[in-house]
Amino acid sequence: MTPSPIQMRGVAKQFGSKAILDNLDWEVRPGQVVGLLGRNGAGKSTLMECLLGLRETDGGSVLLFGEPLNALTDATRARIGYVPQKSDLFEWMTALQMLDYFKAMYPRWNDAKVASLLDRWGFDGLMRNKPIRRLSGGEQQRLSIVRALAHDPDLLVLDEPASALDPAGRRSFLAELVDGVIEQGTTVVFSTHILTDLERVAPDVAFLKNGRIALQGELDTLLDGARRVVGPASMLGAALPGELRRSQTGDGSVCVIVQGGALLADTPGVRVEPLGLEDLFIEVTR
Amino acid sequence: MATSLFSIIPGSSDPIYRQLVDQVRRLVAGGQLAPGAALPSVRDVAQQLTVNPMTVSKAYGLLELEGVLARRRGVGMVVADRAAGGGEGTAADATDRAALLRPTLERAAREARELELDPATVLALFTLILKESP
Repeated sequence: MTPSPIQMRGVAKQFGSKAILDNLDWEVRPGQVVGLLGRNGAGKSTLMECLLGLRETDGGSVLLFGEPLNALTDATRARIGYVPQKSDLFEWMTALQMLDYFKAMYPRWNDAKVASLLDRWGFDGLMRNKPIRRLSGGEQQRLSIVRALAHDPDLLVLDEPASALDPAGRRSFLAELVDGVIEQGTTVVFSTHILTDLERVAPDVAFLKNGRIALQGELDTLLDGARRVVGPASMLGAALPGELRRSQTGDGSVCVIVQGGALLADTPGVRVEPLGLEDLFIEVTR
Repeated sequence: MATSLFSIIPGSSDPIYRQLVDQVRRLVAGGQLAPGAALPSVRDVAQQLTVNPMTVSKAYGLLELEGVLARRRGVGMVVADRAAGGGEGTAADATDRAALLRPTLERAAREARELELDPATVLALFTLILKESP
């Protein structure tokens, strides 16, 4: 069996007295495309940095393609691509200089792909030769994506890769992800707050909450199984199967969010409604 | 290109694969896709809609299981011969087609309840919309 691209066991990370990752277990299997979700400050970027070895952990173990982080071979390192949320590195270089610099570090480098992405993403001669710090936020983000895709990685980790992109830029990035990355069987982990993007490309989602992966599964299954049940307290007294949370509404009725439990048969006075991904996000991460 | 047959709305409570399944069913029931007609490839649909190819495969796979689509060697997915049913215009056929409208109407009904509209007002509006030329 091929080892999982990501395998984390009991990973802990504290900032001061605050636990950001708390005994976190997570596994991403070969070819999975996983959307990592969580509220602002939940620790998504920290999780990504810890799993890539960019940040030291306080405990636990991380294996990438079966190799422990502290003994990662160059060959395995070259199989990983990463787009940070914001990168201040290499700002004095031009786009072309930066790409050349990275090209020298990787045994595999897809020149044709780089040229085609730069063309399609609007990098004309002028932009290619401008210092990176003078590019706009969206242009820097696109360049960062080109750099991460250039060595045809087997594992791609993207930290809010589309946050600075306009709708057309996002669509073009997603198209490249669908056609140039996912089609190749690449394992992808990406975080985003743009849930419609996630729904387009990520069959699997993982929710980070209180320092752990609180819920992980196939997005379709989660959506198919998620329901909001609203009715009088007298009828919804007992815990429902798959209950995630419940709340009282102003008029004294009870609102229960269930996930994966058997769907309730028609009960008079009780309303059962499906949930979209945004509702599910809010309920799971609350 | 035939892939513009489909359109999707991400973010709705209907997962994308289910939106695709419903659309193919409607197109087949309505005759826009005749038996034997080839469907666009998984890759074409995925590219056109910018969705994961697995989502499209899943929709096609479910439709194949249901007997709406069939896999034909060298062509890919086609509309199954018996999918449209024989009795075009019969009562049973209309019932089948009406059933396909149910998910959309259920959504509308939910929104109507949220707006606290009474059934007569909603039905009058729907009647009006039906009479509008497309």
